[in-house]
Amino acid sequence: MHRRHGELFSAWVTAREAFWIAIEALTSHKLRSFLTLLGVVIATTTLIVVMSVINGMNLYIADHVANLGTNTFILSQYKWAQGYQAWLKARQRNRPIRMEDYRYLKEYLTGYKAMGATASDSRFTAKYGGQSLYDVSLAGVTPSMIDIGQQKVDYGRYITESDYVHGAPVCFIGQDLVNKFFPNVDPIGKEVRVGGRSFRVVGVAEKIGTTFGQSQDGFVLIPLTSYQRLFMARPRLDISVQAWNSAQMLPLEDEVRSLMRVRRHLHYNEDDTFGINASETIMSLWKRLTSSIFAVTIGVVAVFMVVGGIVIMNIMLASVTDRTHEIGIRKSLGARRRDILTQFIIESAVMAGVGGLIGVLLAMLISMIVQRFFTSSVPLSAIIVGLGLSAFVGLFFGIYPASKAAKLDPIEALRAEV
Amino acid sequence: MEHFPTMESQPNASQQWESSSTQDNIIILAQDLWKTYDMEAVKVDALCGVSFSIVRGEYVAIMGPSGSGKSTLMNLIGCLDTPTSGQYWLNSRLVSELTDDELAYIRNKEIGFVFQTFNLLPRATALHNVELPLIYNGTPPEERLDRAEEVLRMVELGDRMHHRPSELSGGQRQRVAVARALINHPSIILADEPTGNLDSATGDEIMNLFDRLYHSGNTIVLVTHEHDIAARAHRIIHIRDGKIDRDERVG
Repeated sequence: MHRRHGELFSAWVTAREAFWIAIEALTSHKLRSFLTLLGVVIATTTLIVVMSVINGMNLYIADHVANLGTNTFILSQYKWAQGYQAWLKARQRNRPIRMEDYRYLKEYLTGYKAMGATASDSRFTAKYGGQSLYDVSLAGVTPSMIDIGQQKVDYGRYITESDYVHGAPVCFIGQDLVNKFFPNVDPIGKEVRVGGRSFRVVGVAEKIGTTFGQSQDGFVLIPLTSYQRLFMARPRLDISVQAWNSAQMLPLEDEVRSLMRVRRHLHYNEDDTFGINASETIMSLWKRLTSSIFAVTIGVVAVFMVVGGIVIMNIMLASVTDRTHEIGIRKSLGARRRDILTQFIIESAVMAGVGGLIGVLLAMLISMIVQRFFTSSVPLSAIIVGLGLSAFVGLFFGIYPASKAAKLDPIEALRAEV
Repeated sequence: MEHFPTMESQPNASQQWESSSTQDNIIILAQDLWKTYDMEAVKVDALCGVSFSIVRGEYVAIMGPSGSGKSTLMNLIGCLDTPTSGQYWLNSRLVSELTDDELAYIRNKEIGFVFQTFNLLPRATALHNVELPLIYNGTPPEERLDRAEEVLRMVELGDRMHHRPSELSGGQRQRVAVARALINHPSIILADEPTGNLDSATGDEIMNLFDRLYHSGNTIVLVTHEHDIAARAHRIIHIRDGKIDRDERVG
């Protein structure tokens, strides 16, 4: 038995016909179509919005939070981003990093690009001319931190070697202090009081911006020696070590680790009593967090999709009943089972696909709004997954109604009420 | 024309038919068709051993009162259904044992239906309704449109191609249906009470169209219960109680 044209071409012709039937059916019952598609729309929107926000936050974290500085790692008392149990254990064993450790590393570590130490404390109040700025972070730094840290000099200068050696009462301030105290005045040379002590402003940092709505510009940097002299003689330090390139990162970390283990006389089977932290440490914690958010989202989306699919199946069943006569006509004119099957499955898939498309557009809109006050970036993969998933749901839930339609007896179907 | 011998007397009729000299001209050959419906406990015989043949170019009316089994017979002839027993040959092909999909192919290729209720797709234009059978054999769109326009002009609806059924009169709708029946050049045109839903003037108009189709060489099988409609045909097969009551030539 030969059809005049190839089976594949024939299927294509039927499929194209089915596509236009589906579009027609959708547009002729707009409200019904909208209600039918709501589940799929919500599912797709949720999926894409969550994927976009997570993606946006990934970029953000990588950019703002995890950015310790290029090719830089930090030696501190604790390893960040470890589990609670591990932290409890570490709390009993780990010892703070001190000035002696910094001098020791300065003496024995070789091949690094830069090394600096920071002692920091937050929740200070800065005062100038009767005005106060709360929640200022104060840090004692070595002059080398200019090459390593996030801060860049806007004008004036950073803490210099001379300031450091003499423990000078000078400070390098963030933009928040400038905005609060010196909106129209040159801050250089002015005396700012922090923690009850006066510091002469020698430089202003470039604006950093906010991270999760938290300003990063409310800081006062002073020489580490001044910090020791005025606030705390033996502060706990974070030592930043910068490598020459990313390939050197791990060897350098290993070198710092073995130097520290030797210094602390750790047996080969003992754990470190300090932590070495790189951007990846933060990123890995973040990835763990987002993967659980994502898992929850997958569950929610799956539920929505199934609900949406069932609604579509229901509408398709109603549509098959409504159009029994039409099916009879088509069958009498030579439509085979598979033609009717294709028609209804495509109709269902197109319907769900349109739902998916609406969902994508809605998600892009929401993403644009979210971006105004938070962070969001729609990844292409989210759009593809959203559209593909909704079309698949349509296909899957269209199978049952379509096979019902395909199995109709042509005589019975023709006899059905119009 | 020499009538085909009655099947009851020819147990091996199909073989004889194949060797028959009229083989090329016979378009329909029904041998001892039975159709039994299972109604709950009882079995109802709608057709009890119907045998007949129709030659290419004939204009045959199948007549009978309601309940006579003529609708069942029409469904069998139209390949919408298969007989419980017996053989049905259409255009040299034994169709009584085909699967659903094969029957669909036969309906598409060999049969042009014209129904009492027109059976047009309400939301489709006349043009689209007419091209529908071509979609199911995968004809490319341009060719479909050309042929649909051609047959629509043939039934004098060249100026109504883009109208929907609701925008057409009953007679125009039936002409769309006739155009649709013609588009695949079928072996037979099978009309089921084609004037049943039309007033007599419009009915006449449609019957004149059938006359024209007959004169241009089409084979027409007309199912009706109206004498004056049946009288248009050249042969009337009377059905009563599931059997052929009378097979007469007229005109």
